[in-house]
Amino acid sequence: MTMIQNFIAVYARKRWLKWVVLALLAAALLAMPLLPIPQKNLWVRILGYAGLYILLGLGLLIHVGFAGMLDLGFAAYYGIGAYTYALLASRQFDIHLPFWVMLLVGGLVAALAGALISIPVLRLRGDYLAIVTLGFGEITRLLLLNLKGLTNGSQGVIGIDKPVLFGVVFNTGTHFYYLIFLLILLFTFLTNRLIQSRIGRAWLAIREDEDVAEMSGVNTIWYKLLAFVLGAFIGGLGGVVFASWQGSIFPDNFNLLVSINVLCLIILGGLGNQYGVIVGALALIALPDMLRGFSDFRMLIFGLLLVVMMILKPNGFLPRVPPRLEKAADGKIKPQEDRA
Amino acid sequence: MTLSPGLHAFLGQLINGLTVGSFYALIALGYTMVYGVLSMVNFAHGDIFMVGAYCGLFTIGRLQSIGYLETNPVLAIVVTFVVGMLGASLTGVLVERLAYRPVRRAGRLAALISAIGASIILQESVRLVPTIFKAILDIKIGSHNLFPDAFISGLLNLAKDFGGSAAKTYPAILGTGGFTLAGVFISYGRVLIVVLSLIIMLALYLLVQYTRIGRAMRAVSEDKDTASLMGVNVNRTISTTFFIGSALAGIAGVMVGLFYLQIRVDMGFVPGIKAFTSAVLGGIGNIPGAMLGGYILGLVEVLSVQVLPAVYKDVVAFVILILTLIFMPNGLLGNRKFLKKL
Repeated sequence: MTMIQNFIAVYARKRWLKWVVLALLAAALLAMPLLPIPQKNLWVRILGYAGLYILLGLGLLIHVGFAGMLDLGFAAYYGIGAYTYALLASRQFDIHLPFWVMLLVGGLVAALAGALISIPVLRLRGDYLAIVTLGFGEITRLLLLNLKGLTNGSQGVIGIDKPVLFGVVFNTGTHFYYLIFLLILLFTFLTNRLIQSRIGRAWLAIREDEDVAEMSGVNTIWYKLLAFVLGAFIGGLGGVVFASWQGSIFPDNFNLLVSINVLCLIILGGLGNQYGVIVGALALIALPDMLRGFSDFRMLIFGLLLVVMMILKPNGFLPRVPPRLEKAADGKIKPQEDRA
Repeated sequence: MTLSPGLHAFLGQLINGLTVGSFYALIALGYTMVYGVLSMVNFAHGDIFMVGAYCGLFTIGRLQSIGYLETNPVLAIVVTFVVGMLGASLTGVLVERLAYRPVRRAGRLAALISAIGASIILQESVRLVPTIFKAILDIKIGSHNLFPDAFISGLLNLAKDFGGSAAKTYPAILGTGGFTLAGVFISYGRVLIVVLSLIIMLALYLLVQYTRIGRAMRAVSEDKDTASLMGVNVNRTISTTFFIGSALAGIAGVMVGLFYLQIRVDMGFVPGIKAFTSAVLGGIGNIPGAMLGGYILGLVEVLSVQVLPAVYKDVVAFVILILTLIFMPNGLLGNRKFLKKL
């Protein structure tokens, strides 16, 4: 245990070590589908699925981890993105728009939905916001289930197009594995830049104390709206990838359980830390898939994890590392030291 | 006296709305009481209601198998209610003790997430009761079972009677009897539910207004620290609040079982959200408000079925919740003091 703690202590101090670890991890993950491993297809599928959840986790992280708004309806954006693609690129209406355009469109439609739901609820805080977003998630699922003329109800939408890139049709798990891998890299980078920017600082200020943030001149309504829209965009984009990978989607793919799973993984990893999302997703999505025998107890373990984590480590396994200026303000380090 | 068919249907729906509203009001009281003392949404409350229904079912099933339900139905129903109530109460107190008290100082987000965890644990525990019992009873020492065979099969059957993934069914004892008032048929079951709910709510109101423990609850909801300085045992008062609030949910659980017959482990989710809507509509933290909100929601919901397809019944409740929060966040009878805590 102390060895791990020592490693983490060194890891936190030496920035180059962080990059070495990340590069090794990335290389291992990139090479994985090419190596001769027993049951490779299963592994690609499990890790790809975990990757999809990492993507969703990055979106929800903007809501919960950065801006401090507990969102229990994240599956709605995921579902809206997935259905946007499914309806415009499948046999349902015989419309076949290209995947790469729809990746953006699905994200934008979900972002629009995020803006619409957030405008009335931006004044709410904490528990109320959580319940309203939960209600929104359920309304979305009920509408997907009952607007039969559009969504085909519980029969779902089938025959969804696969993405095509330079004539290559994405028809194996490996294709999606690499697609999801790239998207995770892109969005980890983007959210990382975002959190270090003025916007990110405004979000953290709102999360720590909304009243103080407002009095310090942060336009809280605008930044909360922005958080909602950006998080929903990532959720919608994840939905498009999911729909094209599965080939068929049903309203129940987007139930409350999905929202709770995504919430669990960002909490487990540590709120406000993108790398925590990766750890959380691998632990929550991949582990139960590997331990098939315990699948019956999976949800029970989830529930216990949530309660125990909140009691013992409410900040997760990899808590947020405060930016340098914030550390300096706490008097923990001097700014000059850090620059050396 | 004859009524026009439209009015006839309306009165029928009114009775239906009062029945459904009674369920919502009873569950909403638990939300509102807990919000009063802890300023948190007890996310697991809907599942405590479910535990009440399962405890009631187990009891009435046992009473039926020994023939007591036939020989003395009134007493059997009373016992069922008492066990359902106690089961829910103990669950509520345990949830508070194990999942909420340790995170009370860790902030709102931690409390809410812990509550979501508790909700999942309750649902999964009831669902997995037979599985867990089987796993424990199958422990072998060498090639022998640790427990005698008869004991194993007996206990396993009990576990299967209590929980499991499949929906369970209450015996239909409320019957289809009733009377006709102004051309509208009213079943005895509905009368029992509405009257019993009103009596319980009146009792609760008197308890909170005129007893020592009620005064302690009001003091804690006003200001925990000051109440503690005045000699109120805050932790015990919070436990009592959970006990009483969960008891009401347990009674509602048994009622729902007796009335709709079928119960499932996920039965708590939708009524839980609707009861929360009722509590918000009436003004969260306000006890008469929760009762009023419950009945209003019940009536609006059954009347909406007249206009919209029945599948949108749940959507209507969510829309009411969202509209209330936006335009009237302190509810119909709400107290301004809770607003500042939002």
